[in-house]
Amino acid sequence: MKNRHTAKSAISTILIWAVLIFFLVITIYPVIWMIFGSLKDTSTFYLNIWGFPSEPVWKNYIGAWQYGDLGTKYLNTIIVTGVFLLILLPVNCCAAYTIARMNFRFKKAIYTFLLIGLMIPGGVLGMPTYSVALKLGLVNNLIGLSIVLAGQAISFGVFLLRAFFVSLPKSLEEAALIDGCNRFSAFAKIILPLIKPAIMIQIVFSGLNTWNEYFLSNLMLRTDALKTLPLGVIKFIGEYSTDYPQMFAALTISTLPMIIVYILAQKQFITGLTAGATKG
Amino acid sequence: MNITVSKKLDRVFPYLMVLPAIVLFIMFVISPFFYGFYTSLFKWDGLSDMKWLGFTNYKHVFGDPQFWNAIKNTFVYALVITVFKNGIGLALALMLISRKHGTTFCRTALYMPVTFSYVVIGVLWTWVYNPTFGILDGVLNLVGLGGLSQGWLSDPDIALYSVAAVDIWKWIGFHLVLYYTGLQAIPETYYEAADIDGANWFRKFWHITIPQLNSVIVMNVLLAITGAFVNNYNLVNVMTQGGPFGSTDVSLTYIVRTAFSYRNLGQANAMSMVLFAMVFIIGFAQFKVMTREENTTD
Repeated sequence: MKNRHTAKSAISTILIWAVLIFFLVITIYPVIWMIFGSLKDTSTFYLNIWGFPSEPVWKNYIGAWQYGDLGTKYLNTIIVTGVFLLILLPVNCCAAYTIARMNFRFKKAIYTFLLIGLMIPGGVLGMPTYSVALKLGLVNNLIGLSIVLAGQAISFGVFLLRAFFVSLPKSLEEAALIDGCNRFSAFAKIILPLIKPAIMIQIVFSGLNTWNEYFLSNLMLRTDALKTLPLGVIKFIGEYSTDYPQMFAALTISTLPMIIVYILAQKQFITGLTAGATKG
Repeated sequence: MNITVSKKLDRVFPYLMVLPAIVLFIMFVISPFFYGFYTSLFKWDGLSDMKWLGFTNYKHVFGDPQFWNAIKNTFVYALVITVFKNGIGLALALMLISRKHGTTFCRTALYMPVTFSYVVIGVLWTWVYNPTFGILDGVLNLVGLGGLSQGWLSDPDIALYSVAAVDIWKWIGFHLVLYYTGLQAIPETYYEAADIDGANWFRKFWHITIPQLNSVIVMNVLLAITGAFVNNYNLVNVMTQGGPFGSTDVSLTYIVRTAFSYRNLGQANAMSMVLFAMVFIIGFAQFKVMTREENTTD
């Protein structure tokens, strides 16, 4: 009887691992395939589609960098994401803090109003948003794109940060006010440092979304010189005679920073996600 | 004097703090809805002057079979990804929760595609599906299932599902992590009590796990549905551009085409309004679920 039981659990363990390994392979192999592909020689690419490059060809990277003008694309992406965070973080921290820790008229109404954004599935109002940006002269402008994306990230950010502000003990500001701080310096000097983890989550999560943003960027950035990385990579498809290793090199160049950031900040990525989706 | 000034300042302080958020939010979340509706009543190409049309744009939209085809595809897509992202995510979470080793590695590795842009993933999978040297057909041939090989992106009956599979692939790790966290929160004692009663795996799953996981499941399902609309634009635009024969045309690709290729921003905004009306109820449900706990604790 006991034997049968252990045999059964051994079989289920093996089956479970088989399924897990299958999903690990289909998740990781395409990425490895991309990196291997980027290091292959154009002429022998078809002879060795699957495996390890016989001798790594680094010049694919130089070719991709030049052909796709990836330096400019990188810079544009950094500008859009940087300005986006510079706008979003102070705006969201101030609003979330005030809603979480102060009493004033219409507080509840203002909070509910700011959360309306959570009711609009992403992208559904993309074309009207583009129309507004067009009217305001923000189209074809990197800073314009940052501002629009920041506006759209407010609901989620206020929702996320408020939950963290609420969790801090009530007496903190009182102590600071007695010590002679004014309201704003109590917030900036005492409270903000305490929610650093939440701010990190907002940076990683919203920053990543903006770094990878494609839909609105595609509508708003029309000139080649202003395109961001996701838009720039598109240039490598659809041209059937070009060399694939170079295309894989371009994909790797645009993905590698994300893989590195992810490996360094996995915790923020994963907690950010669970906090954002289940807290509240 | 000084005291009254500072008192006044104290009173307006909270409003000053929330003002920037309110302004930005009104400009880029609220006003698009009203401005979108307003422009939907005009003939407008985005450049020249607007010409009043009344509800003519809506009449055209309702009678446009291409629009309804795109809407149908959007909802098929949303349904397929929601079912599979949640089914696979929950199944893998259940498998991992009973393991002692390697769970962190599995979660970290499976979560990785979440961080990639849709463009990179779309391009990458276009080559995975490639009929001459894609790895998918290669693997099928290798394991002797070469007969299953398809025109993954060129067969109108299959293309939409091939695109949806990429979306599922990207987000499995996300849902896995959410379900895993939800499972960790279920008290072990519930299962111990059930063990004493001699309950089998399925009964425990059905009578303990599912009810305990209820709010997590609702949240995951809603996140998958509400994410579907912009995701499918990204992938379709990169992988198939709506083809073959409109079989992968989704609402946002058709709306963008109407605005830019057909130069009819007014009608594109009318379509956006119709789409918004159809999906608002889903967004509203998500909002209710996300803020439910807050309202009970306040």
